[in-house]
Amino acid sequence: MHPVTEHQLETTRRHLLTSAGSGLGTAALAELLFRSGSVQALAADTNGKNSVLPHSSPRIRNVIYLFQNGGPSHVDLFDFKPKLSQLHGSPIPREFVQGKRFSTMTGKAEGKLVLAPVEPFAQYGDSGATVSRFMPHTAQIADQICFIKSMHTDAVNHAPAISFLLSGAQIPGRPTLGAWLSYGLGNEADDLPAFVVMTSVSKGTTCGQIFYDFYWGSGFLPSLYQGVKLRSGGDPVLYLSNPDGMTRQMRRGWLDDLAHVNELHRQYTGDPETATRIAQYEMAFRMQASVPELTDISKESRSTLELYGPQVSERGTFAHNCLQARRLVERGTRFVQVMHAGWDQHNSLTTELYNQCRDTDQPSAALVRDLQQRGLLDETLVIWSGEFGRTPFLQGDLKNRSRWGRDHHPYAFTLWMAGGGIRRGTTYGASDELGFSIAADGVHVHDFQATLLHLLGIDHERLTYRFQGRQHRLTDVHGKVITGVLG
Amino acid sequence: MSNLCHSFCFLLLTVFASAFASSADSAAAARNPASFSRDVLPILSENCFQCHGPDERQRQAELRLDNELDAVVVLNRPGGIQSELLRRIESEDRDEVMPPPDVNLTLTDAQKATLRRWILSGSEWQQHWSFEPLAAPPTPRSTFRETPVLNAIDHFVQARLKDTGLSPSAQADRAVLLRRVNLDLTGLPPVLQEQRAFVHDGTPGAYERVVDRLLESPAYGEHMAWNWLNAARYADSNGYQGDRERTMWPWREWVVDAFNQNMPFDEFTINQLAGDLLSNPTFEQKLATGFCRNHMINGEGGRIPEENRVDYVMDMTETMGTVWLGLTLNCCRCHDHKFDALRQRDYYQFYAFFNQTPVDGAGGDPQTTPTIAALPDSDRPRLLAIEQELAAVNHRLGQVRRKTAQENTALISLRDRLIKERDDILNSAPKVMIMEDRTDLRETFILTRGLYNVPTDRMVVAATPASLPSHTIKDQLNRLDLAKWLVSRENPLTSRVTVNRFWQQIFGLGLVRTTEDFGVQGEYPVHRELLDWLSADFRDHGWDVKRLIRTIVTSHTYRQSSRIRMVRDSNNQSISELEIDPENRLFARSPRYRLPSGVLRDQALASCGLLNVRRGGPPINTYQPPGVWAEPTFGKKKHERTAGTAGYRRSLYVFWRRIIAPTIFFDNATRQTCTVRVFRTNSPLHSLLTFNETTYVESARTLAQQLLEDRSLDNSAKLRTAFECIVCRKITADELTVFQHGLERSRSEFRADIDSATALLCVGDSKRNKSLDTAEHAAWTSLCLAILNLDETLTRE
Repeated sequence: MHPVTEHQLETTRRHLLTSAGSGLGTAALAELLFRSGSVQALAADTNGKNSVLPHSSPRIRNVIYLFQNGGPSHVDLFDFKPKLSQLHGSPIPREFVQGKRFSTMTGKAEGKLVLAPVEPFAQYGDSGATVSRFMPHTAQIADQICFIKSMHTDAVNHAPAISFLLSGAQIPGRPTLGAWLSYGLGNEADDLPAFVVMTSVSKGTTCGQIFYDFYWGSGFLPSLYQGVKLRSGGDPVLYLSNPDGMTRQMRRGWLDDLAHVNELHRQYTGDPETATRIAQYEMAFRMQASVPELTDISKESRSTLELYGPQVSERGTFAHNCLQARRLVERGTRFVQVMHAGWDQHNSLTTELYNQCRDTDQPSAALVRDLQQRGLLDETLVIWSGEFGRTPFLQGDLKNRSRWGRDHHPYAFTLWMAGGGIRRGTTYGASDELGFSIAADGVHVHDFQATLLHLLGIDHERLTYRFQGRQHRLTDVHGKVITGVLG
Repeated sequence: MSNLCHSFCFLLLTVFASAFASSADSAAAARNPASFSRDVLPILSENCFQCHGPDERQRQAELRLDNELDAVVVLNRPGGIQSELLRRIESEDRDEVMPPPDVNLTLTDAQKATLRRWILSGSEWQQHWSFEPLAAPPTPRSTFRETPVLNAIDHFVQARLKDTGLSPSAQADRAVLLRRVNLDLTGLPPVLQEQRAFVHDGTPGAYERVVDRLLESPAYGEHMAWNWLNAARYADSNGYQGDRERTMWPWREWVVDAFNQNMPFDEFTINQLAGDLLSNPTFEQKLATGFCRNHMINGEGGRIPEENRVDYVMDMTETMGTVWLGLTLNCCRCHDHKFDALRQRDYYQFYAFFNQTPVDGAGGDPQTTPTIAALPDSDRPRLLAIEQELAAVNHRLGQVRRKTAQENTALISLRDRLIKERDDILNSAPKVMIMEDRTDLRETFILTRGLYNVPTDRMVVAATPASLPSHTIKDQLNRLDLAKWLVSRENPLTSRVTVNRFWQQIFGLGLVRTTEDFGVQGEYPVHRELLDWLSADFRDHGWDVKRLIRTIVTSHTYRQSSRIRMVRDSNNQSISELEIDPENRLFARSPRYRLPSGVLRDQALASCGLLNVRRGGPPINTYQPPGVWAEPTFGKKKHERTAGTAGYRRSLYVFWRRIIAPTIFFDNATRQTCTVRVFRTNSPLHSLLTFNETTYVESARTLAQQLLEDRSLDNSAKLRTAFECIVCRKITADELTVFQHGLERSRSEFRADIDSATALLCVGDSKRNKSLDTAEHAAWTSLCLAILNLDETLTRE
């Protein structure tokens, strides 16, 4: 770094640390927070009533959320219900559907026909978890997993339900999990963002849900905390590359000149924000080296690449993104959101569901194994879930097997976690005998969020941000930590 | 037993201590009384109202502290020595102390002291400040003899600075001031000739003439429209799945025109909220109501239409609440407001005003009726001619006079041709969604927790809240009554909220920081008298926006230098002004802040001579990296830059895809819901953008080319000119030295690597002058790009 810059940055940092309490420009403060976790907690403190984070000793440092957009069918993948096969083709008993709201595609659920799981289930590992033949690789890591089979949500359509899981509110515009964490805990990565998002979709998927940017938005938190999208084509981070014809060395030269002239200007204006600007440009310069280093997987061993399966080298695939997620966590990124669309099987249970599982099953399991092999699994939590489940009853014509489908189902679905702080090789909660509603130990979306924050050492009631006159939090006014899943 | 005794003794002790302390306190309190609205109410609101506030269902112990009549039981007036409130907040008994330990709220010692002072001095009760009637307070006198006082703003600001250790700054350098006022009023920098003319114009009124010229320039309306579009959640697509394109841009043009024609803000309000309900509304008045319909539209399959419809009505209601009232109405969707005097009923009474359109929420048509066809001006004469001809034909057809069959057929065929032509013209015109009320009004019920499918049996009719002054007494109110009420003389909020937003636009931060919240939990203004004075003045002078802006920018407060000075503290130590007023809330200097990203783009284009100033019309696409739209939409949306010079039009005209905002902008409202607060962050991602994005590089290349084509300039003069074009002031000797070295270095780098030079000159769609020396052109390009990235360039100085 340019000596002047280094000096300025130091001065600024010191100045900020001493005057943070007096409310110096949050923009300046936030800039430095891009690096320093401890200052981050301070920011939280000056903003509102947050006590210094973490509130309790954290069990994990990083989170990788393998988010399956569209609503994977819990009764076809993880939640084994033999009774569905017994009742296959007969109308669903009335007591299950009464008073429940479905999407307009279903409308009234009375009289809908029960549909058996498309593929058989078997038990795996010492834990004896039941997993469908759709998910052979996940089945092999069953002993690492804590399944929650009693998830339930409030929303019945994709965008509101995804927003609800990721931000605690159905309407867009609230900060998402990753944003809350980077705000609350700061960034431990050197020159990489704290919150990174990647998206993919299986080839040939007919019905893909759009990846709205509010799925990784910062809502009313400063936009600094929003997820940075790693893109599947072109620059992995928007505008990362110098313009054509501008070499790194040329850029370095101009950055030094800029720092010099900016420093002259800072002496004139007396404004520490100018020193912040110099630091900002230096950080950008470092990112121009650190991001390509991150995304270059040529040095990964063959066995690692094989673990993730045949698509791993292809940018924009779920396999590639899972590998990147591990590399990000290794480099200190706190929250990685890997989203895969195409799970909306209204009429494709016997067709596209196979593609979905083919493309995601092996990489998901590989990620858990890879983290374990590197000793990272204890400090990382891998989460796999969609935004809701799918109806135990059929959508479509029973006689036309190739068009079988299931509709959106918020009343019960399955989520799994693997990694630090949780009770491995267990199943928590249960749905009823048809996988329709919660039978035991329901876990509402806000409970899950509270539990996740707890694992990171955060009391979900105390991580707050003042907006529109009140202290907001991820879990709104709800949520309880589910101690039954904690290890 | 011992416990009980302990509590009892403790209680005695507390009472005694209070009594003992009280006489000294009372004297202190009398000297320095706490202001209820400024000091006390925020403490009560933040710490007590959750359980003792307006929300009936959450209320504990049947005690409410949000109004005087109820609160009086715990105040023990006069004197307050035995006030229960005081006793409870000062108690150290976990079972007695308020707030109770389990609510995670604690009063600081300073807060307790404030409450104590207030209670002991008689606990005078006032309304929340922003609900108080608006009247201009008397103007104080500035005591800074050497500083100019140009209008009332300066009196308020300078009077407040007295005894703070700060003093007003001198006027900024003329060059800095000119750039500032250009950027603040038009979003564009001054061109070279304007800079040179102004710096040398020593005649009285030179600055004021610049201000007047800027206020009359079309760029003013374009600039003012940007923030209004953010507030109005304007976008060129629906949002949500499918994100279908809409054609609301004629409404955007209406906004630009309204600002440029200086439409009074009350008229501006009435037109947009209820233009359709005026008697014999004009085309423009109907068009203006597009404001209400700018909300997102959800076309996702499986959505229940009524659920959508309710969402839209809520969005309209809350947008009105934020923009005009500065109230967080959304809090009352589900329950009475926790802090402000707003009941859930009030929310649905507002909602009832907007609940009357024929929209049923079905489908995702971005032109859901009611719509209006916004004809391009060029089509209007022909349409008028058709209408006249058609009337004539119809008249003749209707005449009883005997016609030949041939004559009749010819007339009918002419009529059909005219109708077809008319319909073709009308169908080709963009349709703008507008407002209209059904004749059979919908009944409005309070919705349980705001859920569309769980209405209560409590029906409400359109009305304004009881906690605010009412305007009209009528049986049945409609949107027009609402709009008139908002801009009525009695409404205490609209003018304050509006003036504050304009102040924020110019000073970077509102007089009330919480632009969106003027409720009890919002910020109490540091400069309340100034805000009230300006707001009353605005209302009393015909809601004249240009007059307001002119008042602000011609004040000395506005013209001050933004340098942060060293001052002497009480121990005569030299400290930075920042130590006293870190956020510059007292305006001892002009603020410095990073320019909005839309302005940064326009500035780069304008200062480098690439800007296309064409006004109005459909949106354009500027540069965007490939895949930005395609990736999240699985290739369904493809982005293509609008060809030719249209791509260099102002940021205002860049197509706004709601689900993925244009990547060239940052720190801007997403335009998904109403946003009035300005936010600014510093991220390395922003630096990557302004250094690498095509617009910036191409702008630099264009300016470099113009400099090299001008053979009359030597190298030093070229560099000076480049700096002046972009930074809008003369370069200093030190700066010149740094950049000259940089230029030489760059030149030799590109001479040694001519391929790189060529590559750099190929960035952007515009043609380059190939007769220029390649390495030279590239070196100058990289120099100009560096200047575009100077802190000073990025900053409103």
